[in-house]
Amino acid sequence: MVASLTRRFGDLDIAEEAAAEAFAVAVQRWPADGIPPNPGAWLTTTANHKAIDRIRREAKREDKQKQAQMLYDDDPPAPTGAIVDERLRLIFTCCHPALAMETRVALTLRMVAGLTVPEIARAFLVQETTMGQRITRAKAKIKAAGIPYRVPSEEDLPTRVSGVLAVLFLVFNEGYLATGPDTDPVRHELTAEAIRLTRLVRDLMPEDGEVAGLLALMLLTEARRTARVSADGELVTLDEQDRGAWDATLVAEGHGLVRERLTSGVAPGRYQLLAAVNAVHTSARDIRDTDWTQVVALYDQLVRLDPSPIVVLNRAIAVAELDGPEVALASVDRLEGALAGYHPYHATRADLLRRTGRSRDSRAAYDKAIELAGNTAEVAYLTRRRDQLR
Amino acid sequence: MQYLVSVIDDKSNPGSTDRQPAISAFNERLIAEGYWVFAGGLADTDAATVVDNRGEQVVFSDGPFVESKEYLAGVWVWEAPDLDVALKLATEASEVCDRKIEVRPFL
Repeated sequence: MVASLTRRFGDLDIAEEAAAEAFAVAVQRWPADGIPPNPGAWLTTTANHKAIDRIRREAKREDKQKQAQMLYDDDPPAPTGAIVDERLRLIFTCCHPALAMETRVALTLRMVAGLTVPEIARAFLVQETTMGQRITRAKAKIKAAGIPYRVPSEEDLPTRVSGVLAVLFLVFNEGYLATGPDTDPVRHELTAEAIRLTRLVRDLMPEDGEVAGLLALMLLTEARRTARVSADGELVTLDEQDRGAWDATLVAEGHGLVRERLTSGVAPGRYQLLAAVNAVHTSARDIRDTDWTQVVALYDQLVRLDPSPIVVLNRAIAVAELDGPEVALASVDRLEGALAGYHPYHATRADLLRRTGRSRDSRAAYDKAIELAGNTAEVAYLTRRRDQLR
Repeated sequence: MQYLVSVIDDKSNPGSTDRQPAISAFNERLIAEGYWVFAGGLADTDAATVVDNRGEQVVFSDGPFVESKEYLAGVWVWEAPDLDVALKLATEASEVCDRKIEVRPFL
């Protein structure tokens, strides 16, 4: 609804407030008058009227010819297809590269996913007022700087889509490995929202390999969600997870997407490679059954695309299974300079040092990982592992 | 919409000085495609004078209003339908000028 109002009135603030006002009227009236026969249409009509009222009030104060003109637009509400397009326009506007990354994430959650400001503030551990200001500033910039409300042109689409996917992946990861001592270790509402939005983008761009790849990656990760944290709130690593608890429907859908990309014959991008890695894991009956040669080969491809230290670290974890922890440790140790502040680096080293029998070094690495990790379930897991060292 | 497009140079790491022919060619294109409103290169910040007549007496001071490593080396004013168009032109402008570009909308 916000998307279609924004389309019509060309202003995020007006759209958002009109939608909120319409819901407020509904909450007041429906219990007394009964729910109207078509609640969606009722809300849209009411919101349109509220928006027009608001523009009329503002038009009196300022000269807003363009907005006043829209009063005469009496087109019926757009059909479903057009609504989908409008949501996509909204996503591209919220994920515009002229906005800071954290702003894009917040704005997407607010305007596209419909989360409230307090919810977003909680998800990213900032004050409500701070988050409110961030969103207000972003909307003001969109208006003042002339950030267009449209899907980018064909030639710009690939780079702009990758920007949208980066935002959605960030939302998913914050849900999957939530940071902060007072948050749940997994925030399902964020992972679910990220998946929903990625599905939406895929509906619009079914041919885009990276969109399919990100969706597959999210589904195959989400499938393991319930098996990933134990009853007493501790992280369960892949090798110890109850594979029977994985969501078979999500796994099947994820595998379907990965197969679709494999048969496309187009060279895979980053998300497709990560999805393929997860497809290998979710195809194995247990950890010993995992095709580590395949996993390492996929990471080799990924390193060629993105030779960042984090990718090299993840490759080393697979190498440890194939060539042993000593070999992996040698390549992990070379990452010290780049990843000293990244807790998975220390957690990986701690595990490799433990497996090569170097308990003292391992303990020190666990200490460092625990100090840096923000996720409660992960801290609980690392602490238990450290305390089991002899 | 109109945008102020600022060319930003860096005193400790200046852009190359042989860009004028490329900038002229780029300007021709801006004019031909209807984006060009105004353009001008600026003299060194040392040549600036700040005037403050908010008090009882006017005060002139020698030099720019703020001393900084990065400074304004030139400006354009462009007419563009939206920020996407302005940013695309600015992407080219940055390469043509071999300097950073700030795009800022007029009110």
